Amino acid sequence: MAEPMGFYTDTTVCIGCKACEVACKEWNQLPSTNGGKNTLSGDSYDNTRRLDGIHWRHVKFIEQFTEERKDGRWLLMSDVCKHCVQAACLEVCPTGAIIRTEFDTVVIQSDVCNGCRDCIAACPFGVIDINPASGTAQKCTLCYDRLQAGMEPACSKACPTDSIQFGTIRELRERAQKRVEQLHQAGEKRAYLYGADEKMLGGLNSFYLLVDRPEAYGLPPDPKMPTRNLSSGSWFSVLGAVLVGLMGIINFRNRGAHQPPPEVRS
Amino acid sequence: MADSDCIVIMGSNMAENHPVAFRWPMQAKVEHGAKIIHVDPRFTRTSAVADIYAPVRAGSDIAFLGGVINYVINSERWNKDPFFKTWVVNYTNAATIITEDFKDTEDLDGVFSGLMEYKGGLPEWPFNAFVGEYKPDSWQYARTKVGATGEMAASTARAGETRVTTGPAASKAAAAQGERKTPPGPPYDKLVAALLKPPVERDETLQNPRTVFQIVKRHYSRYTPEMVERATGCPKETFLKVAETILANSGADKTTSFAYAVAWTQHTYGVQMIGACALLQLLLGNVGRPGAGVMALRGHASIQGSTDIPTLYHSIQGYMSAPSALKKHDTLDDFIAAETLPTGWWANLPKYMVSYLKSMYGDAATKENQFGYDWHPKILGDHSHLAMFAAMNAGKVKGMLCIGQNPATSLNARLERAAMRKLEWLVVKDNWIHETANFWKTAPEIKSGEVKPQDIKTEVFFLPATQVAEVDGTFTNTQRLLQFHHKAAEPPGDCRSDPWFTYQLGKRLKKLYANSTLPRDEGFKNLVWDYEHESEHERKIGEPSALKILKEINGFYTDDPNRHVAGFAELKDDGSTTCASWIYSGVYPAPDKNLAARRTPDPPGQPGAHLNWGWAWPSNRRIMYNRASADPQGRPWSEKKKWVWWDEEKKRWVGYDVPDYPATKPPTDKAKPGATGMDALPGTAPFIMRPDGVGWLYVPAGLVDGPLPTHYEPVESPVKNPLYKQQTSPVLKYWKDPSNPIAQLGDQKYPYIITTYRLTEHYLAGAMSRWNPWLTELQPELFIEMSPELAQEKGIKNLDWVRVTTPRAQIRAKALVTRRMRPFVIDGKTFHHVGMPWHWGWEGISTGDVVNELTSLVGDPNVSIHEGKAFICNVEKA
Amino acid sequence: MTAFPSSTFFSAPPDWGWLVTLYFFVGGLAGGSYFLAVLIDLFGRPEDRPLARLGYYIALPCIIVSGILLTVDLYRPERFWHMLIESNTYRPMFKAWSPMSVGSWALLIFGIFAFLSFVGALVEDKRLEWPAGARLRPPSVLGRIIGILGGLFGFYVAGYTGVLLAVTNRPIWSDTPLLGMLFVVSAASISAALMILIARRSRWTMPGIAALHRMDAWVVALEFIVLIAVIVSLGPVMRAWVNAWGLLLFLGVIVLGMLAPLGLYWRRQWLGDLNVTAGAALVLIGGFILRMVIVFSAQGV
Ligand SMILES: Nc1nc2c(c(=O)[nH]1)N[C@H]1C(S)=C(S)[C@@H](COP(=O)(O)OP(=O)(O)OC[C@H]3O[C@@H](n4cnc5c(=O)[nH]c(N)nc54)[C@H](O)[C@@H]3O)O[C@H]1N2
Ligand SMILES: Nc1nc2c(c(=O)[nH]1)N[C@H]1C(S)=C(S)[C@@H](COP(=O)(O)OP(=O)(O)OC[C@H]3O[C@@H](n4cnc5c(=O)[nH]c(N)nc54)[C@H](O)[C@@H]3O)O[C@H]1N2
Ligand code: SF4
Ligand code: SF4
Ligand code: SF4
Ligand code: SF4
Ligand code: SF4
Ligand SMILES: [Mo]
Repeated sequence: MAEPMGFYTDTTVCIGCKACEVACKEWNQLPSTNGGKNTLSGDSYDNTRRLDGIHWRHVKFIEQFTEERKDGRWLLMSDVCKHCVQAACLEVCPTGAIIRTEFDTVVIQSDVCNGCRDCIAACPFGVIDINPASGTAQKCTLCYDRLQAGMEPACSKACPTDSIQFGTIRELRERAQKRVEQLHQAGEKRAYLYGADEKMLGGLNSFYLLVDRPEAYGLPPDPKMPTRNLSSGSWFSVLGAVLVGLMGIINFRNRGAHQPPPEVRS
Repeated sequence: MADSDCIVIMGSNMAENHPVAFRWPMQAKVEHGAKIIHVDPRFTRTSAVADIYAPVRAGSDIAFLGGVINYVINSERWNKDPFFKTWVVNYTNAATIITEDFKDTEDLDGVFSGLMEYKGGLPEWPFNAFVGEYKPDSWQYARTKVGATGEMAASTARAGETRVTTGPAASKAAAAQGERKTPPGPPYDKLVAALLKPPVERDETLQNPRTVFQIVKRHYSRYTPEMVERATGCPKETFLKVAETILANSGADKTTSFAYAVAWTQHTYGVQMIGACALLQLLLGNVGRPGAGVMALRGHASIQGSTDIPTLYHSIQGYMSAPSALKKHDTLDDFIAAETLPTGWWANLPKYMVSYLKSMYGDAATKENQFGYDWHPKILGDHSHLAMFAAMNAGKVKGMLCIGQNPATSLNARLERAAMRKLEWLVVKDNWIHETANFWKTAPEIKSGEVKPQDIKTEVFFLPATQVAEVDGTFTNTQRLLQFHHKAAEPPGDCRSDPWFTYQLGKRLKKLYANSTLPRDEGFKNLVWDYEHESEHERKIGEPSALKILKEINGFYTDDPNRHVAGFAELKDDGSTTCASWIYSGVYPAPDKNLAARRTPDPPGQPGAHLNWGWAWPSNRRIMYNRASADPQGRPWSEKKKWVWWDEEKKRWVGYDVPDYPATKPPTDKAKPGATGMDALPGTAPFIMRPDGVGWLYVPAGLVDGPLPTHYEPVESPVKNPLYKQQTSPVLKYWKDPSNPIAQLGDQKYPYIITTYRLTEHYLAGAMSRWNPWLTELQPELFIEMSPELAQEKGIKNLDWVRVTTPRAQIRAKALVTRRMRPFVIDGKTFHHVGMPWHWGWEGISTGDVVNELTSLVGDPNVSIHEGKAFICNVEKA
Repeated sequence: MTAFPSSTFFSAPPDWGWLVTLYFFVGGLAGGSYFLAVLIDLFGRPEDRPLARLGYYIALPCIIVSGILLTVDLYRPERFWHMLIESNTYRPMFKAWSPMSVGSWALLIFGIFAFLSFVGALVEDKRLEWPAGARLRPPSVLGRIIGILGGLFGFYVAGYTGVLLAVTNRPIWSDTPLLGMLFVVSAASISAALMILIARRSRWTMPGIAALHRMDAWVVALEFIVLIAVIVSLGPVMRAWVNAWGLLLFLGVIVLGMLAPLGLYWRRQWLGDLNVTAGAALVLIGGFILRMVIVFSAQGV
């Protein structure tokens, strides 16, 4: 397997230009909301609203202004699949449509997916949804096709400010750490990295530099694997079955059902 | 900008409208912690990444900049640090003394000396629209006048002398010139020498109250932080933070750059806004140095190219004035006498003008016939967009070629559409059938039944245009950088390039006039018009050759057309060279050397100017006036800001960039008395396009609205000018027309300040974005941004439909209520500010009302640009 | 910025709707009734055997309908088999840790047992002339094996759906480990209820009915306790039920589907003859509403 590849997104230099969104759609030829006849969301400058089957990149606009407009902020962040090292979607997918590539990225094979939507419910970041054009679950492929051809992903290539940076995870983490320190020195004490280490789902291969709580960006503070409930859930079910069984046995307690009842004999 | 220590983005929303160029400010920020400042009425995506955001209400920038100027001049650092004194005395006209007749706005409560009623213009062209006019004689440099030479002053426009504009001044000056015996050319050296004027009076101690410095100091003395807050609505503390940061990041080893775009131009005093910035940057030594300057972020792709090889009416190639019926331009000699600056680089104008005429008329252009000067068209007055549509509306225009424009959605759109209905014919050449192409069929007034298509006599032709990737050609970007692009795909169907159209039209007109005997048709008959394409295939569809056009622009030797000129230094005034645009000369120095096509960047890490990537005019220089990056002795101001310097061994100017200076003219060179051209300037004078070789803090000529930027209110403003009795620019342009009404100060019907602007997601009038679903889903509908405070006052909720009204029209839009907008407290009174992106129209996938229905035909007196950035309106829940 | 009670609030709804709700119900009936049938076979009196057969008669059609519902719910139904076979290697597709994967297999295998037992029941009822077929039911050893294995799978089918919901990152679903248990118990209660209803319509009077009825009461009581446990285990996430769904859960499931039937059980004089029927019917309705609330409420947030 090649070295793990992914994204480091420095939200402090994002200008919300959405070039990444468009570059992704252009490269992957994704349809637009209602053929482009969309409606104004009224939520700042975000009119594509969320990541889904036809929006594999989504730029968030978070307005933070007090009434008297003292040092207000407009947080801009380009969201995408996190390509989790421990990927919830991949874990639950019953058809094996979701695979881990040689670049340690997570890809849905559209020709295998049958649209059961288990992965949608499983992804802690709400990344996946059905693409009506294919009737299958879709999301960022981290431009698997481009990577295989030795090219950079379309979105990071289009990003004018290098808010999205593509590279080997090892090198990206170093760069990101330096940037955090630089920001701390410059007085931006709120800066930190989200998902840049194993603690979060074994590491997010698309991690972020943020300057506010994850929730402010619509990110889970501590995403978990769905299987955390598997054994407990199963054992409780067994317990349920046992209890029901006992109740049955107690109520029907009576030996001798084994000789066939008279009217059957002959 | 990547080298800047501080970047002030003011009058522009750079991150949204120049996202790709914005990578440089971000690089400066991330790599060496440069401070980014954004000054804007709205908190935008640029503000989001800025270190300081300063809110100002639309139209108040001169008050703000004047405040910074005042702050700087009176600051301790500026007066102590020797850098600033040395710079200002040697590199600006601070020490120059102005005539005692000059009266400042401080003396005349908002107007300069020489104001009079406008009587200029020609009866044939009553569309210049000035509301007043200055007689600028009193603004001049004081000179030791010696007899006739003193009089002669009147003749040279840009030489720091009276700009002959229009009206009485014109005739008087003309008379003055008439008397003068100009030795005929070519060669024109004598003529040029005859234009010389006596030396100017100077006081290098800057103490003389009539020095430019003292005048500037007085002019801005009332622009205090308190006044800035009163006039702009920007909190005093924020303003001071901005001023401190700018000053702290200027000096020998630090540079601050400014970036502006149309929020500084689209005002009735737009040129003066930019002037105020130039003044400040000159005071701070932020010109001609790495990371310094005033960046004009140009608009359309290659709009820079379209002013270099102008689609402008008032200048011909390379920023030479267009021959004009309003000036003493009767003969070529007259033209040269009127336009040439005898000292500094412009003394070469005769060479450039003659080479230009040779490129137009080829062998037919001879000494004897003044190189065909008489065949060249002359302008009658203001032929800019606004004036032309005013004329069209008055039925004075027969037909229009609309190539790459969408005027049906442009300023006072309803009026512009009414004007188009008066055309006999309209040719639209575009990629899409947009609002203008369909103005006769689907415009609002047609839909509403006010106008019936069958009553419109205009015959409309539509020609499908190619896209840029379907033709060879060059782009000239904001940095004056020419980059060649190669045809990547065949145009679909009948789509043809714009050069194709011009070329084919020219060929047909030449045929049409071939046998004409009328003198006025000589120009067409003699026009050199041979751009046949090298490739068989392109010839078949009639596409001209981009390289042949580039060759004509670059210039070549008339006796040997295959010998291209290597640069404008080789151009001659005797007809032995041809060159369409002297500033581009050198881009194509040999038939096999197209420098615009170069693609070799500098290796990373080393300081450089990427001189082998494309080609920048003039002479591939990346920073203009870069002589200023060295001190008067020719040494770098500091190691950190090293760029171009004098090498004592080699006895020449060297550096990372092509020196913008005669290569071997030493810093020690003294100005030669009685000499013309560069010899008339000392080796310390960096601003070689100025006749006195220095930057102008005070502009004695070239501007029609005064030598110093002064705060005026927009034509439509709810605010009374807090600084002067004079409310608006006394010489602005207003095209009077029943369908172009203006709201007066204090009109309660329109209480709110409104501005218009762009969104990253859309492009201009929208044909290039509203037809693309990937873009329309990003910004699907027209909206109006307003503060929660205003929304509450008017009972408007987010996403409600609202009606926006001005004296011109009423439109509908959805409300986008956001705290990024704020009410401004001006002079203790609260004013609400709204804003609208103007990209919408009724054609395409995403449609919406045309915001320009709201705007008016008022313009800047120097360049006739509209005031789309600041006017007033009313807002109501629909 | 409202605080989020759990990290699950950032996931997206898979829009599982009516088809899935219906499947959870029908699948529960299939598994539950088979499970009960086996219990009766193994521990009931001989007179109760028709009751057991009834269980098998319910199980097969229900499991078939379940399969159909699930397939129709797929966005690409023609690829339903991808659940069992890896479509580009043609190797079996099985993930022990993915309830949906295991569930698909369980459904298939249970289907087979349900079929065998169904046939066995037909033979016993003389609706099918195939003596050998009798061995498909206890007391024959084969019958016992089929019954026990089938019973286990039946229980799995009845319960895994709850675990499947838990093994996601949706609010509510994945915020408690008890949904599986709840579904198992509820499967038993609704199955018993359904069997009681049918038995009474058929005017049967064997003692097993009484037993079944008593048992159902116990199970509903248990179900009530488990549901309370679920609500408690949600902790702060309970907030997600402070809405119409919560109300429906309380009125439709707790009051109508549990308390009322229990009441009817203890106070026989209430509706006299109708008591049992009404009680059973309410349990069925409650069981459906329960699944509806759980499926939809977690996707509303
Ligand atoms: N995405 C995109 N990019 C574009 C274009 C486009 O349409 N879309 N158009 C191109 C063209 S042709 C041009 S000319 C440039 C224009 O580039 P810009 O000048 O940046 O464009 P605008 O958005 O018109 O205005 C910029 C900002 O000026 C602010 N503003 C308004 N009035 C004032 C004022 O009086 N003072 C100050 N300081 N600010 C004010 C507005 O709030 C707005 O944020 O963009 C070019 N780039
Ligand atoms: N209220 C208000 N009004 C404004 C402004 C503002 O800020 N506020 N901004 C002003 C400014 S700065 C500008 S630049 C103008 C722009 O106003 P316009 O120039 O009228 O509008 P555009 O949409 O740029 O029109 C360009 C047209 O060229 C077409 N086109 C693109 N490529 C080609 C080509 O290769 N060949 C040909 N033939 N056509 C092509 C496009 O389809 C488009 O229809 O608007 C001005 N109007
Ligand atoms: S392209 Fe880069 S700067 Fe633009 S929105 Fe995407 S991440 Fe942000
Ligand atoms: S973010 Fe979601 S979709 Fe992406 S890999 Fe992780 S779990 Fe899968
Ligand atoms: S929807 Fe497709 S990708 Fe997602 S879990 Fe089901 S089969 Fe796998
Ligand atoms: S990596 Fe490729 S697929 Fe993923 S968001 Fe970027 S462009 Fe889209
Ligand atoms: S629109 Fe084109 S020219 Fe303008 S910034 Fe983007 S890429 Fe550059
Ligand atoms: Mo522009």
